[in-house]
Amino acid sequence: MFKRSRRAALLAALAAGSLALTACGGGDDGSSGSAKELKLWHYEGPDSAMGVAWNQAIKEFEASHPGVKVKFEEKGFEQIQKTAPMVLNSKDAPDIMEYNKGNSTAGLLSKQGLLTDLTPQVTKRGWDKLLGPTIQTTAKYDAKGVMGGDKWFGIPNYAEYLQVYYNKDMFEKNNLKVPTTFDEFVTALDTFAKKGITPLSNAGAEYMAQQYLYQLALTKADQTWVNNFERYTGKVDFHDAAWTYGATTFADWVKKGYIAKNSVSIKAEDAGTTFISGKFPMMFSGSWWYGRFQKEIKNFEWDTFLWPDTNLTLGSSGNLWVVPQGSKNKDLAYDFIDITMKKGIQNTLGNNGGVPVAADEAGVTDAKSKELIKNFTTLTGKNALAYYPDWPVAGFYDTFVTQTQKLINGSATPDKVLTDLQKAYDSGLPK
Amino acid sequence: MTATSVEPPIKAPIRARRRRDPSSYVVLAALIVLVLVMLIPFVIVVFNALKTPEEYSTNGPLAVPDGIHLQGLKDFWERVAFGEKLLNSVIISGSVAAFAVILSVLNAYALGIGRITGRLWILVLLLMANTLPQEALVYPLYYLSKQVGLYDTRLSVIIIFTVIQSAFGTYLLSSVLGSFPRALLEAARMDGASTWQVLWRIVVPVTRPTVAVLLVFFFIWTWNEFLIPLVFLTSNENQTVSVALGVLQGQRLMDATMSSASALLGIIPTVIFFLIFQRTLTRGLTAGAIK
Repeated sequence: MFKRSRRAALLAALAAGSLALTACGGGDDGSSGSAKELKLWHYEGPDSAMGVAWNQAIKEFEASHPGVKVKFEEKGFEQIQKTAPMVLNSKDAPDIMEYNKGNSTAGLLSKQGLLTDLTPQVTKRGWDKLLGPTIQTTAKYDAKGVMGGDKWFGIPNYAEYLQVYYNKDMFEKNNLKVPTTFDEFVTALDTFAKKGITPLSNAGAEYMAQQYLYQLALTKADQTWVNNFERYTGKVDFHDAAWTYGATTFADWVKKGYIAKNSVSIKAEDAGTTFISGKFPMMFSGSWWYGRFQKEIKNFEWDTFLWPDTNLTLGSSGNLWVVPQGSKNKDLAYDFIDITMKKGIQNTLGNNGGVPVAADEAGVTDAKSKELIKNFTTLTGKNALAYYPDWPVAGFYDTFVTQTQKLINGSATPDKVLTDLQKAYDSGLPK
Repeated sequence: MTATSVEPPIKAPIRARRRRDPSSYVVLAALIVLVLVMLIPFVIVVFNALKTPEEYSTNGPLAVPDGIHLQGLKDFWERVAFGEKLLNSVIISGSVAAFAVILSVLNAYALGIGRITGRLWILVLLLMANTLPQEALVYPLYYLSKQVGLYDTRLSVIIIFTVIQSAFGTYLLSSVLGSFPRALLEAARMDGASTWQVLWRIVVPVTRPTVAVLLVFFFIWTWNEFLIPLVFLTSNENQTVSVALGVLQGQRLMDATMSSASALLGIIPTVIFFLIFQRTLTRGLTAGAIK
């Protein structure tokens, strides 16, 4: 009807300014922050593993710091992403907040000098001893804001990694065992496909498709390859053996019906819910689904296995606790981080479907959760976490979505797709 | 002659008598189909708002709910303190609507009736400002508000939107007042009315339908604004409804049932507001107030 174009007036600003100033001045008080309040922001839902664990941490913090109140505000992911640089640059910055890890997020803020360097605290409180080397990478940044640097700007409480979720009932019905080698995995895919069941749940419109492709490439890659790609330590060639294998195998799997052609426009949420409703035997995705599957899958038995025959798989630390440069209560913020790294909170995280970075196995009692953590220990034991394909350059996520969609549609050859990825990567590299 | 006795020179809508021929039934049927199509998204939102998350995951988004499950609505209300957000939205949208209308009327009086020099250029400037995307304004406004100490206050958003909305209002009202019957103004002047009296006793009553429509639109537009409130209202206690709805969108997961519940709560106030002022709107439309 009346579609309003976005608009503003510079001229009228002058007119309104005088009116507003006389009409209603002031209105802002309490800017002299008392030291008795810790302003904390995060964006995890109250029922998620992090939400539950951090709620407990807030209670423990208030108990051990009598007289200090934690002023917690739940934020939207988008709000923090869009406004963090502005908020942190003002006097309204929180004392401690959760922030996304990676070069274009925490790295960028650290480069702009908006985050406190946590290195002295890390060594003093021994947090570095609790975190494995691949987990540390995303917490440390160099002067250019590239991860894997020398200074700590954040502390992760949890981790995430990808694994294959599978429907036990469907496996039994088709006389299939849990695959332990890649060949067995392909045999399982083939068995389902021959019976007219698409074996893998996929979301072409979001992160899932590129994660299949990256995982396939990782089976032929090593740690140096990952570092070159993610941390710009060497030349990246998208036509090397690993990438070529990844792209051609992915296209091949679509052709063979392991991945549905119509998954091209599906969102991750829908891929997940169709798995929950029992329509797909397998789904390769992140540990962030775990808690939800535990709660919502009622109609069948499910379990997980790691991608077989690979030294590397997708995963990284979770989001970080960062202390803004403008924090008024830095010492309290450090104390809070310390509590979240203690066994009690870490075990709560583990028992609610999260992947704690420093839990003890005895403290996690839930059987399914134990499995999740055991798999993670296996991965960190061999330094197998290879991060995500969209991290290295800004805007790469969308490029990957478009290019994998072309592979699913068959509208471009793997070779052409790799050439386009190379172009986007090279032009996006930080100077 | 007193100014208030002037009849508003608005033409009553002419209603032509028409026979009901077959084509009107076709139109009616097409309209019914259109209404149904437009209602489908709303129905899906209502369905999902009343489901449990398990039901949603198992039966999919299009299934009819098994029973009425209000927990999602209740949880969302408590999680974001929705009452507080409603109050904020009402305060902000209400003040913006009122201030912007006053400002528009004053500006348009000078431009449309006062015919000040250079009015064409001022209107062109306002029109250009109208086409400026909000994204381009966010950073300058952020620095300005930080300088004057208004960052993270509701007042900052009220000021910004008063200006933005009144730019449009001024543009629109100026062209309406440009064709204001001169005879009316001259008659009032003869009777010794001051400039101020002409405005309040003659111009405002006559253009009331247009002004009322502006008021309603300013309210609804401001209510639905997202980007600027998102940036300027960082504390939760200052946030508006549309910003609060964003809390539910997680990084990787979304809670579809709670999102539907929140969407439902978010649109209900505008729907109610629209129903109340629906008469004003249609009257304004038939008077040819906009476009």
